Amino acid sequence: MMNNFFNPKSIAVIGASRTPGKVGYDILKNLIQYGFEGAIYPINPGADNILGRKAYPSLLDVPDNIDLAVIVVPPKNVLEVINQCGAKHIDSAIIITAGFKESGIEGLKLETEIVNKAKELGMRFIGPNCLGVIDTHSKMNASFAAGMPAKGSIGFFSQSGALCLAVLDRALPDEIGFSKFISMGNKSDISDIDIMLALSEDENTKVVLGYIEGISDGKSFMEVAAKVSKKKPVIILKSGVTSSGAKAASSHTGALAGREAAFDAAFKQCGIIRVHTINDLFNYALAFANQPLPKGPDMAIITNSGGPGILAADACDKAGLQLIPLHKELVDELRTFLPPVASFYNPIDILGDSGAERYEKALLTVLKDERINGVLILLTPTATVNVEETSISIANIAKTTDRPLLTSFMGKKSIESGAKTLLRSGVPNYNYPEEAVSAINAMYRYHLWINRPEKKYHSFEGLRDKAQGIFSNAKRENRERLTELEVHDVLNAYGFNMPRSLFARTSEEAVAAAKGIGYPVVMKIISPQIIHKSDIGGVKVNLKNKKEVENAFFDITTKVKNIMPHAHIYGVLIQEMVPSGKEVIMGITKDPQFGHMIMFGLGGIYVEVLKDVSFRIVPVSQEDAYEMIRETKTFPLLRGVRGETEADIEAIEKSILILSQMAIDFPQIIEADINPLLVRKRGRGVIAIDARFAIGGD
Amino acid sequence: MVTIYVGSTAGYTGKTLVSMGLGSRFQRDGFKVGYFKPVGILPVKIDDTLTDNDAWRIYRGLNLSDPLTDLCPVVLTQELLVKSYLKDVKGLMKRIENSFKRISINKDIVIVGGYGSIYTGSFLDLQGLKVIKKLEAKVVIVVKYEGEYIADYVLQAKRDLKERFLGVILNKITPEYHKSVEEYVEPFFKRKGIDILGKVPHDSIVGSITVEELNEMLGGKVLSCHHCLGNLVEHFLIGAMQVDKAIEYFKKTRNNAVIVGGDRADIQLSAMESGSVCLILTGDLYPSEIIISRAEQKNIPIIVVREDTYSIAKKLEKLSVRLRLRDKSKVERGMKLISENVNFDLIYRKTGLRS
Repeated sequence: MMNNFFNPKSIAVIGASRTPGKVGYDILKNLIQYGFEGAIYPINPGADNILGRKAYPSLLDVPDNIDLAVIVVPPKNVLEVINQCGAKHIDSAIIITAGFKESGIEGLKLETEIVNKAKELGMRFIGPNCLGVIDTHSKMNASFAAGMPAKGSIGFFSQSGALCLAVLDRALPDEIGFSKFISMGNKSDISDIDIMLALSEDENTKVVLGYIEGISDGKSFMEVAAKVSKKKPVIILKSGVTSSGAKAASSHTGALAGREAAFDAAFKQCGIIRVHTINDLFNYALAFANQPLPKGPDMAIITNSGGPGILAADACDKAGLQLIPLHKELVDELRTFLPPVASFYNPIDILGDSGAERYEKALLTVLKDERINGVLILLTPTATVNVEETSISIANIAKTTDRPLLTSFMGKKSIESGAKTLLRSGVPNYNYPEEAVSAINAMYRYHLWINRPEKKYHSFEGLRDKAQGIFSNAKRENRERLTELEVHDVLNAYGFNMPRSLFARTSEEAVAAAKGIGYPVVMKIISPQIIHKSDIGGVKVNLKNKKEVENAFFDITTKVKNIMPHAHIYGVLIQEMVPSGKEVIMGITKDPQFGHMIMFGLGGIYVEVLKDVSFRIVPVSQEDAYEMIRETKTFPLLRGVRGETEADIEAIEKSILILSQMAIDFPQIIEADINPLLVRKRGRGVIAIDARFAIGGD
Repeated sequence: MVTIYVGSTAGYTGKTLVSMGLGSRFQRDGFKVGYFKPVGILPVKIDDTLTDNDAWRIYRGLNLSDPLTDLCPVVLTQELLVKSYLKDVKGLMKRIENSFKRISINKDIVIVGGYGSIYTGSFLDLQGLKVIKKLEAKVVIVVKYEGEYIADYVLQAKRDLKERFLGVILNKITPEYHKSVEEYVEPFFKRKGIDILGKVPHDSIVGSITVEELNEMLGGKVLSCHHCLGNLVEHFLIGAMQVDKAIEYFKKTRNNAVIVGGDRADIQLSAMESGSVCLILTGDLYPSEIIISRAEQKNIPIIVVREDTYSIAKKLEKLSVRLRLRDKSKVERGMKLISENVNFDLIYRKTGLRS
């Protein structure tokens, strides 16, 4: 579909200029200079000839077919050019011109007109407000960037033109190869989704690299990204995430789920490898583009100095990679050529007086152990080591193995040419060992992702009907939240256990209720104006007798009245004291871009401070639920510490899946949270102690 | 014995302070004083005796010794409220009469504290007007001065109270209303035969609130300086502008608490540097450690609340009209204010306590 953008037979540059320094000049020059082999038609009403090519006054004057229009005219003329493209049956355009929605209302109007016109004509375009497009394989540089990257297998798209330039400039001296370079600009027609699909189908692209500031359609983005990432690694740098802009949310979930959380969850769920720095973007891209994926977590480290070896070992450990010792016979083999004071176990320290030969022998020995899934080779430029020779040896071995080799030759001046040799043969070199570990870890995680079985989604049918009436009723009354009793009924309908509870208006009724339930009991204020009961002293626990219930009734109602004189008090809820367990929090929240998310974390009163929560976009698969529980730092508490028995983790998983179902069943839920959800011992299930639901919208 | 009922035509006009101020001056002038609150709306239990919190403060403030059980015979608990709506509760007026009888023994003056306005209480059949008649009280109407229109209500009260009406105390008069009182209301009342018993200026310290009370009202969490919860807050400001503007704004206002989003470290710092006495951080956003340690250094308590800035401001606006007299220094200042600005000679003359 996007072939004309990358491999056109003919290109017209509308707004081509004779004046060096003008964008219309630079683009034409780039096309010619970097050897585009198709026809090039400069369009300029005032010129006969530009840079040796015949110029035409208008597109309509070009006698031949044109595959791709590159538009550089002033904004007010773009619409006219689009019309001409229509007349010439051109279906693909790159609009370089700036001055559209990024510049104000007038610009937005122009942009909308262009989008509508293009749609009408069945035409697709990249931009506006972009740098252009480069395809190294078709030798097309339809951009005003200074330079042309080397041919390679990294396909890069970016919302920011400036970042394109920076990445390109950084790539040039190291001859880092790209397949395609796409500056997206305002993304008013062709989107990240289109580009990901195009790069996924492109034979020359092995790795998809992207810089994204925002996306417009979260759900489709995830759907496409999940497919593409199963085929090729997709590495994305996402910026522009701040939590401070988040709307004031009325309960925990909203406050904790900024958009950052949504992106993070979405990327995890569709297998996108997320990086947070431009440096990592490069580091990962080089590894993925040039090296095979490790098929397991077992790594070996070869080093000529202790410190970097330990740093690398630490980094492996933190990342969840393992350093296993080699087979005994291979250790013995190492002993035959390494000095006796060397370290033969993993990390293998071949000592500071090593030369290229020792590196080579050690590496060959390590690779004989099939259990090793990848090797990191660290080098400190000592006086004895010959960097150039060592890099040649490693480069040669890399060609013969199907396992990834990553190097970290540390330093600058003395390792520079060695690093270049390595990179030329596809072995990326990293400034520091941690960077190499981080890259190989990303590759291992990606290996797990592509080999992961299809996600399993549970659907819980028939639950919806039981709760439908409650939601309809709330909507009819135009309410923003469900009442206590409605929440109770909804959770009940979805199979959540809840503590037995009875409503009471007076202390006599409360005593009777407590008697009915059996002491000890909990008492909670019930008022539509009070969302966070315990904040204002509206909850008393462990009431053991009539007297305590009476006192609690007085205390709670008086306190609430005092603090919130305008709150209407319905009465109190008398609840059974639930058995002990671990408190977790679970909820639904709605993100403007990705829709509903499920939140999980350790509960109780410290949830806001610790913010140890994880999120997944709905629908949540069984694997997602499994992972999101284990992702929290406090997970070991659920496992049980110091001899405690394990909590019912399976019941938590099921609850997550049920909430996901609920969010699908009732899209009008804006926010819901169950806090605390009491998790009992394994096999005994969970109990929803307290919950809130905010509703609205559709 | 003279019974003086301190009532009003609206809630939250400052009846409690006026009652306390009158009582203390009466004592100083050599009278035996009692205090009685027929209907209380702030339930509290003192040694297991249910009474009214404001009444209890006055009782203590005036060093009274009548049995606590008689101080406030009817307390509007949630319990009583629910029951009275479900069916008529009988015998309340009898209870009031009996307690009052006991309290009046051996007194020159009994001050009776009204609740709400003199028209409140009908749902219990305990309307202020009815109680006034039963107790044969003279009535002082306390008005929170908010412009000439209050004259209308006072006139109506006079009509309803007839010969029981003693006069009016204009309370919480802010400087911008001084002229309005002098030019319109005083001559108007004179013409209508209404005595002005007192003109009490607004006092921002009496109208202040401690950080501790504030935190309780807002349902917040105190993060720093737990030893400074007694700081008095006189004014509230919202910190939502640029830092340089904010500093100007904070500096101009005495004893202010700044309401600001928890993530606005810039505003929080500038508030602390410009003399704010408390920070209220909204949105359930916790400040950085730097802010907390700076606050500790400068003895500024930080309260974190869940709601957004606007909701908190709204809450505080409601709160400012129903401040309670808790703090000792505030009470003393308030009593002095009453003593200085109420015409006691006129009261004594009109009640026949002195000629």
